[in-house]
Amino acid sequence: MTDRALEGLRVVEFTDELGSYCGRLLADLGADVVKVEPPGGGVQRHTPPFVKGLDAGPDTSIAFWVHNTSKKSVVLDLDTDEGQAIARQLILSADVVIEDNPPGWMRQRGLDYHALRPARPKLVYTSVTGFGHNGPHANYAYTDIVGQAMGGVMTLAGEMADPPNLIYGNQANVSASIQAAEGTLVAVLHADATGHGQHVDVSAQEAISISQETAMQTWDLQKRNRVRTGERGMIPIALPGVGVYEVIDGHVVLFVLAPGGADFPEFVDWIREEGKAEDLDQEPYAEVCANLKMSWLSQVMADPAKAGPILPALMHIQEVVKRFLAGKTAAEAYEEGQRRRLLVGIVSTPKDLAGNSQLRARNWFKNLEFDFLNRVIEFPGTPYRLSETPARISRPPRLGEHTGAVLSALHGQED
Amino acid sequence: MTKLPFEGIRVADFSWFGAGPIAAQTFATFGAEVVRIESETKIDSLRTVQPFALNPDGSFKTGYNVSGYFNNYNAGKLSVQLNLNTERGQELGYRIIEKSDIFLTNFTPRVIDKWNLRYEQIRQVNPRIIAAYAPMQGLEGPHRDFLGFGAVLTPVTGISYMSGFPGRPPMGVGTNYPDYVVNPGHTTTAILAALRYRNRTGKGQLIELPQIESVVNVLGTAVADYFANGVIQTRGGNRSPIAAPHGAFRCLDDAGIVGSTDRWVAISCRSDHEWIETCEAFGQPGMATDPRFATFASRKANEDALEELVNSWTRTHRAEDVMTLLQERAVPAGVVQTSQDMLDRDPHLKQRGYYRYLDHPETGRAAYDGPGFQLSDTPGRHAWPAPLLGEHTMDVCERIIGLTPDEIANLLAEGVLV
Repeated sequence: MTDRALEGLRVVEFTDELGSYCGRLLADLGADVVKVEPPGGGVQRHTPPFVKGLDAGPDTSIAFWVHNTSKKSVVLDLDTDEGQAIARQLILSADVVIEDNPPGWMRQRGLDYHALRPARPKLVYTSVTGFGHNGPHANYAYTDIVGQAMGGVMTLAGEMADPPNLIYGNQANVSASIQAAEGTLVAVLHADATGHGQHVDVSAQEAISISQETAMQTWDLQKRNRVRTGERGMIPIALPGVGVYEVIDGHVVLFVLAPGGADFPEFVDWIREEGKAEDLDQEPYAEVCANLKMSWLSQVMADPAKAGPILPALMHIQEVVKRFLAGKTAAEAYEEGQRRRLLVGIVSTPKDLAGNSQLRARNWFKNLEFDFLNRVIEFPGTPYRLSETPARISRPPRLGEHTGAVLSALHGQED
Repeated sequence: MTKLPFEGIRVADFSWFGAGPIAAQTFATFGAEVVRIESETKIDSLRTVQPFALNPDGSFKTGYNVSGYFNNYNAGKLSVQLNLNTERGQELGYRIIEKSDIFLTNFTPRVIDKWNLRYEQIRQVNPRIIAAYAPMQGLEGPHRDFLGFGAVLTPVTGISYMSGFPGRPPMGVGTNYPDYVVNPGHTTTAILAALRYRNRTGKGQLIELPQIESVVNVLGTAVADYFANGVIQTRGGNRSPIAAPHGAFRCLDDAGIVGSTDRWVAISCRSDHEWIETCEAFGQPGMATDPRFATFASRKANEDALEELVNSWTRTHRAEDVMTLLQERAVPAGVVQTSQDMLDRDPHLKQRGYYRYLDHPETGRAAYDGPGFQLSDTPGRHAWPAPLLGEHTMDVCERIIGLTPDEIANLLAEGVLV
């Protein structure tokens, strides 16, 4: 049995969509995480997708599962005096609380940080909310899309012709949970050293906002707003070797002109070796291909007399590149492009990920045994590999699965 | 003043671009001494790309110290120049590692090999080191040497396939998304857990964060849905399986927004109650009982018409007004904010003091992202702005490595400290 990094860290969580992934990160690293849930379960327990062929319910939501591995589940009705009293006992025997209720909700139940700190000075108490616990929007209603909007990432995603795009996977919630895990552990280390706990206040809006990339600094330094530019990101015009290309069975994305990989002439070498270079070795294309780099382009584009003839050449080269890639499968373009040190990415589907040769070779997927369903289901692995204290996933709990065991252990403590 | 949590901890930061330096930033903010090892012979590209600070005449400032992209992730760190292509440079790097608690890099395995920075090498000089490696694909495996950064990882991990509107190509999300929270946040979490373990046992360890694994982990629902059900999820636009309406809706244009004046508000109604409130907020209570929209199932079945209706309402209002109108009724709604909104208009971020402003010798006063979590008793600080390239070479050589001024002068002349 290997050691666990967070062995002995006792966590009680009162979380749903926003904070549950934080608890999962700590639980996979070895913390003892007890999830307190309302009767019937919260929103995430009832969020699709569910396992096909079974009743859609609290124990079959895949959306719940992936954010709640390795935890215990206790059902308590926090609207009753008894539920509140048990929750208080649970907290007072714990090192960490994680909760994601609207500000004021825990206070109404006598379970807020200030009510508990005197009896448990070492307690680290992490609140994950849409907008944090203070400020004029603290009580704003929140869902993930509101976080992605107010956090400044939606305005950067998509085409100008469309509404701003949502990033898949509740990324404002995930960002808030990841930042909450960091903040919690910083506070735990501090509490270990000093005996003093503290309140960790995570706002999903703030948590995701650094993902605006350079937009914040562009406004700050230059008083310009970055706008959504579809597939081009920070590159101002459509260029060969940059963007989304159709292949036989899907798409690949190229960033050949970005720093960090082989340059465009090496891409042309590949095209030529396969006999698909057409007229790229003739002028004016040969010279453009030989020089095609962002630094060269920005010089040329600054001079209208030079830029004039280059633009049609770029468009022609783009067409040749499109025809070349259209004859390849996504996997061929990805594997061979990368072998040549060209910045090529495959647009993976979930099925592609399930078969990804790197993930398979590293045994990243884990078989989780869902004994109560008589099924083994493959599951994505953990985000990191720790040599001495590997993170480990065990299956998410059924609703209330550990109520009896956890409460009798609590009573045992009292006796 | 309360001691910060990481006072006395030193981080040897051999990382670059976004994901590595952002991970190290958390340690700097909470009191660690973070030494960034840099070199003009292998410059961190972020120092050379936009946005640059402006001269008074509006032209871009030039040089390695004026990029807001770089500066934002490096406040409060030391910058030492070491040419790791030289044997002497590598040796000095080892002397910093020897006196550090945490080692961090996101160079490719190929570069790690070339510079002799493998874990089994550095643990020889410092067995207690926590060594974190965050390569794109991992330290081993058939794709170990594949290249990329956030924008390549976005398609490779499935984000592109599942984000955006159906019928549009998988164009990604406009940024190097995984570089900013997912990968640095996971890296920091693992290091913090390893620190706790070291405090208990005295043992250091190797942390490997293959960026592909870190990102696919947060897309777990789609992957597990494939494994459990054989379902291949794809782009679903802005809709949600548990809310309708759910999306970004066009509002009145705002001539005060620089660049593009289009304005949008995100709205999501998770219950019939929230939908009724929305109809009433817009003075259209009849729509709440319209059979096309009265229940969640009917709103999902008529979602095109529903979205058209909501758009017709929002289009004549300012985005800020729609947000206020709906939030007064506890309906989740928020302006699709630009950075101009976030820095200059958003009263909430201002009151919470999220952005930190620092005077930098070359850029002037500039904004920095604050930490993504607020600690009540040890709030952390940006002790100084991002370092100039090599600003602390002398300090680090003397104080940490223990070189004499003469030795330093010789190393400068030999091209080691560049």
